[in-house]
Amino acid sequence: MINLKNVSASYSGINVLSGISLSVKDGENLCIVGPNGCGKTTLIKAIAGLIPSGGTITIDGKNTCKMQRAEIGKQIAVMSQISNIYFSYTVYETVLLGRYLHMKDNTFKKPSKKDLEYTESCLDAVGLSQLKNQQISSLSGGQLQRVYLARTLAQEPRIILLDEPTNHLDLRHQAGLIDFLKQWSQDKKHTVIGVLHDLNLAMRLADDILVLDNGKIAAYGKATKVISTDLLNKVYEMDVVEFMTDSLKRWEGFADNHYYANKLRIIK
Amino acid sequence: MKIKIKIIISLLICFAAIILGIGLGSIYISPADIFSILAYKLFSAPKSANISENYIAIVWNLRLPRTLLAFIVGGALAVSGTVMQSVLRNPLASSYTLGVSSGASVGAAFVIVTGFSIPILGIFTLPFVGLLAGLLTVYVAVKFAARMDTKMENNTIILVGMVFSLFINAILTLIMSISKEHLAQLTFWQLGSFSLKEWTDIAVLFPIVLVGITLIMRYTKEMDILTFGEEQAFSMGIDVSKLKWLLLGLAAALTGSAISFVGVIGFIDLIAPHVVRRIFGSAHSIVIPMSMLFGGAFMVICDLIARTIISPSELPVGAITALVGAPFFAYIYFSKRKVQ
Repeated sequence: MINLKNVSASYSGINVLSGISLSVKDGENLCIVGPNGCGKTTLIKAIAGLIPSGGTITIDGKNTCKMQRAEIGKQIAVMSQISNIYFSYTVYETVLLGRYLHMKDNTFKKPSKKDLEYTESCLDAVGLSQLKNQQISSLSGGQLQRVYLARTLAQEPRIILLDEPTNHLDLRHQAGLIDFLKQWSQDKKHTVIGVLHDLNLAMRLADDILVLDNGKIAAYGKATKVISTDLLNKVYEMDVVEFMTDSLKRWEGFADNHYYANKLRIIK
Repeated sequence: MKIKIKIIISLLICFAAIILGIGLGSIYISPADIFSILAYKLFSAPKSANISENYIAIVWNLRLPRTLLAFIVGGALAVSGTVMQSVLRNPLASSYTLGVSSGASVGAAFVIVTGFSIPILGIFTLPFVGLLAGLLTVYVAVKFAARMDTKMENNTIILVGMVFSLFINAILTLIMSISKEHLAQLTFWQLGSFSLKEWTDIAVLFPIVLVGITLIMRYTKEMDILTFGEEQAFSMGIDVSKLKWLLLGLAAALTGSAISFVGVIGFIDLIAPHVVRRIFGSAHSIVIPMSMLFGGAFMVICDLIARTIISPSELPVGAITALVGAPFFAYIYFSKRKVQ
């Protein structure tokens, strides 16, 4: 279980996050939503220990401030966003790097049999075994995101932190990634904490939702209990429900006499 | 092609380059004679009757130390370039970006112009002061960058390094314009040369390079992770700032010590990592040793061209590395890219 008590963070003396207290149980997922600049990414970075923060963050009662970086790395993994690849590695080499903390103390940091087997199993889990000898520079955005997911899994973390992981992904890969993570946390009794801009994806992944506004908690709890039209309209400064229903209506014309038309009728 | 075969071919190329470096020159010495002389000198084996003392002197006192020194310097520069590019995540970075060569040049210029000598070091005063000045420049540049930006972002380091480099180059230009009587000597040093190098140079440089590369080899996994970004590396338990300081320091020490002995030789540190990555992939456990071999062999060939093409005169080896290296680099880099 991960606990945050009164967590705060600032950049150049300006408070960007304050009074964040929450708790995520093993096997549950938390999604952080809110408008741009509300402190979502800062919160993820604070949890990962990437930036200094105030308050206390504990994992199973142990304060992360008192833990070595390597110890935190074995508990928390941050899944990277797709960025420029300066030097290309094979898919297998990239995923094997996720085992760094496990092979760090081996002679010459050589991977053990377990490291190699675990890497293979992570490649299998994300369906990349066929591509393991391919250079990552030659992959599509969706494939690359799966490589990074496999590397994150190879780290054997109990908590995965995600910062807008569905950027650059098409619909199928967005849904695939979210469903995979949900299954992973359920099966392993582990935790996913993710920043997602898409409210639909956030609802799909989350057990709990944290809505941030100006660095403070605007709402936190079970999505069905805390999300309200007024809250969304206030936080996003627009009529969110109107936007969503309008988006849905736009499909009616296209989907006439089609599978989707029936679906939409059912939703209505 | 399997990686082991590629490594064996690389080793054979290095071996061939060294034999060519020893054998070719104003007097040709055959590989058989070279092996015979080496066996005679190293293991006191009986030498062939047709090998004169003159040949032995040429191989043992002139060409072998010169060729080995070229190999060591080339290897050190190539490894240094690889580390710089990986740590700074910039394919155009090199030790020169952080002002090592400018600093070392000013240090060398100070010794040449003032005639300053440290009694205990004697003729090694110039390389010592050059190395010290080169390292000091990098230290001040990185320290300054760390003060400006506590996260030590790569762009800050590169920008500060370039500003320092340009500033110190300006000082060098001033020194050169003021002391015209030393202009030829200063220019010669800045163009790089392996002439008149002896075993004592190797005895001093080799341990420094060996220790530097051995230490770098301990951090190949960390360098792999660092190429995916600093936050990624940090979240995987790596103390990024400490690692950067260490690796930048080691890379600067390799370049600084190499150029302090033979003068400024550019280009090799830029092209070697790219060529090696094209052939062997990006894993640093292979890229570092292979860069050393490629850089070493390439430098031996360049020095061979520099001293034989208009024999008995010599061309500056720094010019040859760029003249030979640029088309070779373009061929390797762009032909592979076209295929992909």
